Amino acid sequence: MEKMTRVSGTVSGCTMFCHLDAPANAISVCRDATQVVVAGRNIFKIYGLEEDGFVERLNLRVGRKPSLNFSCADVMWHQMEENLLATAATNGAVVTWNLARPCRNKQEQLFTEHKRTVNKVCFHPTEVNMLLSGSQDGFMKCFDLRKKESVSTFSGQSESVRDVQFSIKDYFTFAASFENGNVQLWDIRRPDRYERMFTAHTGPVFCCDWHPEDRGWLATGGRDKMVKVWDMSTNRVKEIYCVQTIASVARVKWRPERRYHLATCSMMVDHNIYVWDVRRPFIPFATFEEHKDVTTGIVWRHQHDPYFLLSGSKDSTLYQHMFKDASRPVDRANPEGLCFGLFGDLAFAAKESLMSAPQSVGDVGRKTYPGGDRRYPIFFFKKPDVTEQFAQVSSALSVFESEAGSSVGMDWFINTAQSYLLSGKPFAELCEHNAQVAKRLNRPQESTTWTMLRIMFSEPANPSLSSNHNLNKSGNLPLVNSFSMKEMSAALNERNKENRQDNLHSLETNLNNNDENEETEGSEGQAEYLFGDAELDDDDLYSMEHDNQAEEPEYLLPQEAFPLRHEIMDHPSAPEPVQEKPESPHVSGSEAESTCLTPMESFSLISVSQLLFSPHLPPKFFCPIVKEMLCYYAEQGDVQMAVSVLIVLGDRIRKEIDELTQEHWYMSYIDLLQRFELWNVSNEVIKLSTCGAIMCLNQTSTTLHINCSNCKRPMSNKGWICDRCHHCASVCAVCHHVVKGLFVWCQGCSHGGHLEHVMEWLKQSKHCPAGCGHLCEYT
Amino acid sequence: MISYISICIKINEMTYFVSVINTVDTSHEDMIHDAQMDYYGTRLATCSSDRSVKIFDVKNGGQILVADLRGHEGPVWQVAWAHPMYGNILASCSYDRKVIIWKEENGTWDKMYEYTGHDSSVNSVCWGPYDFGLFLACGSSDGAISVLTCSGDGHWDIKKINNAHTIGCNAVSWAPAVVPGSLIEQPTGQKPNYIKRFVSGGCDNLVKLWKEEDGQWKEDQKLEAHSDWVRDVGWAPSIGLPTSTIASCSRDGRVFIWTCDDPAGNTWTAKLLHKFNDAVWHVSWSITGKILAVSGGDNKVTLWKESVDGQWACISDVNKGQGAVTSITDSQQNEQ
Repeated sequence: MEKMTRVSGTVSGCTMFCHLDAPANAISVCRDATQVVVAGRNIFKIYGLEEDGFVERLNLRVGRKPSLNFSCADVMWHQMEENLLATAATNGAVVTWNLARPCRNKQEQLFTEHKRTVNKVCFHPTEVNMLLSGSQDGFMKCFDLRKKESVSTFSGQSESVRDVQFSIKDYFTFAASFENGNVQLWDIRRPDRYERMFTAHTGPVFCCDWHPEDRGWLATGGRDKMVKVWDMSTNRVKEIYCVQTIASVARVKWRPERRYHLATCSMMVDHNIYVWDVRRPFIPFATFEEHKDVTTGIVWRHQHDPYFLLSGSKDSTLYQHMFKDASRPVDRANPEGLCFGLFGDLAFAAKESLMSAPQSVGDVGRKTYPGGDRRYPIFFFKKPDVTEQFAQVSSALSVFESEAGSSVGMDWFINTAQSYLLSGKPFAELCEHNAQVAKRLNRPQESTTWTMLRIMFSEPANPSLSSNHNLNKSGNLPLVNSFSMKEMSAALNERNKENRQDNLHSLETNLNNNDENEETEGSEGQAEYLFGDAELDDDDLYSMEHDNQAEEPEYLLPQEAFPLRHEIMDHPSAPEPVQEKPESPHVSGSEAESTCLTPMESFSLISVSQLLFSPHLPPKFFCPIVKEMLCYYAEQGDVQMAVSVLIVLGDRIRKEIDELTQEHWYMSYIDLLQRFELWNVSNEVIKLSTCGAIMCLNQTSTTLHINCSNCKRPMSNKGWICDRCHHCASVCAVCHHVVKGLFVWCQGCSHGGHLEHVMEWLKQSKHCPAGCGHLCEYT
Repeated sequence: MISYISICIKINEMTYFVSVINTVDTSHEDMIHDAQMDYYGTRLATCSSDRSVKIFDVKNGGQILVADLRGHEGPVWQVAWAHPMYGNILASCSYDRKVIIWKEENGTWDKMYEYTGHDSSVNSVCWGPYDFGLFLACGSSDGAISVLTCSGDGHWDIKKINNAHTIGCNAVSWAPAVVPGSLIEQPTGQKPNYIKRFVSGGCDNLVKLWKEEDGQWKEDQKLEAHSDWVRDVGWAPSIGLPTSTIASCSRDGRVFIWTCDDPAGNTWTAKLLHKFNDAVWHVSWSITGKILAVSGGDNKVTLWKESVDGQWACISDVNKGQGAVTSITDSQQNEQ
């Protein structure tokens, strides 16, 4: 089988083509690979194969009015007798041509035994005078060229013969393929019946080709778009390979010197020529894409040279394809797949070889085998052959998971989303909580941010409290405010317990007081405590507090404080009277609060504060920084932070950032939350958002499907009457009146009624009040 | 000829610690060309040369084969999940010149639509942002890009950009729904113009940007930097980002990051992320668009992140992690 060196150098050339006068039906090369014959309905020419082009050598269509005998369906050049050609004519004639004839008409013999188109002619590979034909009429005939008539006729007993091929190794055997999907094996000595027959394809088998080396291998191609390789050497014909192409297979030719390669072309749709490695049936090894119309004939130029392929086409061109110019779909194929998953995990599929060590494979299958000959017997060929990498390719698909806590993963996102508090508590507490969450999740930057926010925007205790206190004393504090005060003080308690390290004795006592006060509930108590606390606090820390306090009454107008309070109640962030963190001792609650209580409106406060010193800066001063910070987070892809801060800060920052940006952040965050299936959080965010566009998200897309309580079929119209049973659908099952207002119904049996009636009923009975026997559940 | 999934290997960014957890058979009979996680990260679709598309349930670290989609007649190059608001829809494209859109209904996957409008292998599919509807772009070796839009009643509207890339188009990727540059620092009251845009990479070594104008697709930008086929392009998700960012990788081993700060989208600047020694096949952005995964011909995945000073740094280096397997490069395709 190692014949590869035999021909190297004998054939040379390049990819080239020439125009024919008419579409080609078949081509064949002479034995020495120097000439090619092209045959078609209106063409029958011989071209010489030169280095750089085709040269027309001979036109065999002669005579003023060429007979139908020139209309060729197939042509074959004799592989031993270089002057001998045979053609299969569409009129049923089998013609032989002798190029050695001195006259212009080279026609030698004419056999007109077939009644219909002859699809195929085939010379015996070793017997000079033996010619085989297969016809549409269902017969195959064997001719002895020395005689005027066929020597034997084989009846396939089935439909038209599409191809006949002498076995290359077995002198007496030929294969014939049929339109009904069968392949028959015949012994030329026994015309009475075939040796074996098997169904190779569903639909016509258009072609077959014996393997040039493996005597038992036959490749067949059919309209079912498949190429199959059969092992005939065993008792039972066995399909050993199957290649599925994308169009019906018109021709199949084994590639010389390449055990597993074969070339195919299609008879419709697809104009390309494919070279397949049968062991890799999914992707062509190489393709030739030059033809613009159906390729009708393919032939390897030399029987021992794998690099030159000739083809003729309906587009009236004749091509010589160089293998090095072929396109390799595998080269274009992506050997790797990569996908960043939602949770920061990576799915990565990569080509992998089962081999332990890669080696360069310049020449498939013909290299010395590493470590001795390890070829498998034929029936093991599906096993990976270690030397041929094209044939056995698989991929490993890995999913890389990111470790929790790494920035690649998204665990933090989920955890954070679930743990962050966005509303329901005073502002500072929310900040504190979120800072703790961030800290716990090992995100110090976010944690610090929350802490800073709290410091920037929290309201210091004293001024507001003192003002409240003042108000309180004047007896004007409404009930709402007292609630908010209570909440604040509760928060204060916790915070003090947690964070205060200074352990001021007096403060402790204050706290205790506060606890009691809280229980006793009432604005007076609150105010008392807060006032006291603030006083102590301030005294401890800053002398300037006194300034503040002194100034407070001048500019803090009660009528301003009220609406503000009120608003803060409604929004997630409530003011927090006192905060002290060890790391930020210089920003006392009082300053911050004084600045924050009146965010936009009281300019007087701001100016005063600014005059004092830097920690006294008003929230407005921080806003650009905060805005910048939010943008930074957003840029970092952490919209979570941006949106959370946006929600917690609420009105403090909202006006600073333009609506569209906010909307974009919200949308991005909600999108992310929904991807992570954090529906509750997403819903909360939608609810808390201040963007109109976002808030309407929750108002769309809620549909209620109801069934008629009478006929139990879905209600289609919106009215009271079911359009199917024409009864009123919403009758109370208990009192039998039409329900207006609250209507409760069992989702199981569709019965229901007035809420109070059904509740009452179900207290006594587990069954449906309508008497349908359903065990209704009311939860 | 069996392909394995190894659900394995944890990356610890700090230590580069790698370990194998589990190995599962994908039972693909040939090379796997693409693997895509769905929107919720619970399902993984793989496609292979063996003509099949397989869907695995990867919830809670499990790997259960839930569907094996057969319908292509050639190697399947890429798969893409549509947004779940349209149902469970998967698109696949193949060497057989077809794009098949699969839909799961009542637990079974069926062909929803088959597009056969390309004259050559279809190399890439990508669903557009869900905000604009259900539509996808397909890039083919015939050089054309098709945009298929579902009109709701099972009918698909097709717009084809012929000769988008000479020789062939290898990758397409949609821009996020929002033009990010138009949001931040935008004069209020001015609505950003929501233009459908996508990026494509092809065998002409070019990265091209396309946008829809009056229902027609027009070439918007032509980005030149690569010196060989562009194998993959990825438009980064714009979660809070003020800029448009595109990653492109090529057979020349280079990965470029293209950014555009200009809301009009006219000036793009290229930054070389890295020059690898081998062809680079894929780029994939993390969900926040901050980390880029790059896979190259040496069977390696690297993760990249932009540092504060704007430089891209490799933050992790993931090998396949199976010691027995050595990487195969390009040797076997040189056979003549």
